[in-house]
Amino acid sequence: MVDWLAKLESLDRRWLYGGTVLVLLVPFVVAIPMPPGGATPATQGLYDRVESCPGDKVVLVDSSWDMGSRAENQAQLECVVRHLCRRRVRFVVTSVGVTKFAPEFAARVIEPIAAKAGYVYGRDWANLGFVEARGGMGAVVDGLCRDLHSVRPTDVKGTPVGELPLLDDVRSIQDVHLVYCITYAPVPEWISFVKGQHGTPVAFGSMSIMSPQYYTYLDSGQLCGMLAGNRGAAEYEALDGHPSLGTRLIMAASFGNCVIIVAALLGNVGAWAVRRRRRAGK
Amino acid sequence: MTHPLSVWLGAFVTLVVFSYLAKDNPVYRLVQHAALGVSVGIGVVVAWKQVLYPLWWAPIQGAVTGDGAASGAWWLLALVPGALWYFQLSKRWFWVSTLVSGLFIGVAAGLTFKTQILLILPQVGASLKPLNPFAGPEGFTWAQCGVCLSNLVFLVGLLTTLLYFFFSVRAEGRLVRVPMRVGRMMLMVCLGAMFGNTVMTRMAYLLERLQFLYGTVQSLFARG
Repeated sequence: MVDWLAKLESLDRRWLYGGTVLVLLVPFVVAIPMPPGGATPATQGLYDRVESCPGDKVVLVDSSWDMGSRAENQAQLECVVRHLCRRRVRFVVTSVGVTKFAPEFAARVIEPIAAKAGYVYGRDWANLGFVEARGGMGAVVDGLCRDLHSVRPTDVKGTPVGELPLLDDVRSIQDVHLVYCITYAPVPEWISFVKGQHGTPVAFGSMSIMSPQYYTYLDSGQLCGMLAGNRGAAEYEALDGHPSLGTRLIMAASFGNCVIIVAALLGNVGAWAVRRRRRAGK
Repeated sequence: MTHPLSVWLGAFVTLVVFSYLAKDNPVYRLVQHAALGVSVGIGVVVAWKQVLYPLWWAPIQGAVTGDGAASGAWWLLALVPGALWYFQLSKRWFWVSTLVSGLFIGVAAGLTFKTQILLILPQVGASLKPLNPFAGPEGFTWAQCGVCLSNLVFLVGLLTTLLYFFFSVRAEGRLVRVPMRVGRMMLMVCLGAMFGNTVMTRMAYLLERLQFLYGTVQSLFARG
């Protein structure tokens, strides 16, 4: 028995990869209902802020992600845009500094949701496209806060922002109720300039791997909310009463986490068996 | 709508990349180099279409043709500092490029200073949390007591972790050694949480690709 258990320590990692893939595929093939967990204060904070948006203000969504972080950022954008459309909140989309491909990825997510909700481009929402971080992120974020039109004179399609009715009402950060920044690792300049200097609340949507570093800003009130990975998106979808991509992905990830826990336990049992065999050999 | 051929190409490339998990192979390396080349190529096109054309070339063109404001011609001056960067390629004239790089460093340093001040000062303020459960507006409540307990854990974590990084203090005597050990344990808890989140992200990457592959196979059966 001990000899058999000792084999676990030197198990070929490819078996682990194969096992993980097989287990992760199960929730795609068979729909397994799982009860939604409660929302963390970080998710609740963002949800409440969107809920409290008055009609004369807009939400600035900075969607700065592409293929590299689509795995988690897509669900984070999708759930918030769906909530904005349900509440009839107007929103402006930017992609500041991180990746030039971001506007296209954002459009692919937003356009179907906005069309379904009857949102008219230019009147209810606008995509201002990629904003080059000339002279650093701080300069661009500060510029956006002071005069949005001068930083981004045209939208993603090349239409002058002056011709978009929505942008008539949105000139500076004073017209914005919330800035929601979604990317792999949102830069602190959003907190420093938008919240620190102008007092407008900021929320982040970040990859799980980067989320621990932002909890200090939540605790200090510098961030009003945050979606951490697909878990954050799933929590938001549960609050909004519309389970979607985030819920699907986090359910499958729960199965994967079980595989990792089992593998870690078996690995430790294997290590114990090897040590015991070595001691017996002596 | 995405062309079916591009979807199948995506599925093939995903499988080729996954094949690296079994063994390194030439097809994987070919795909890796192709991805790099395609990414750079698309980057150049997008940089022109989304940045240089609308923000730089279009105003100049408008000023020349009379369709736009005459002030757009000033953008031509951007060529001068832009061209200075290329002096980095010459050993003799390298110093010319430092004129513009120095300007950029100065601006970046100023902005970073402002960013950090606006970021860290509120953090320092937020670290001062109440520990007295009787100090709340409603006097003593169990909820307030819980908050104070949480604040105490925060304070212990903050002080012991800071002490752990005091390298000029020798870890001699229980008075220093015990708090340092607590600080180290706090760091371990933090690193554990970070590692857990790392696993979650890696899992999300895999899931996104599996979902794509599963969708591709499903579309095959739907057509059949």
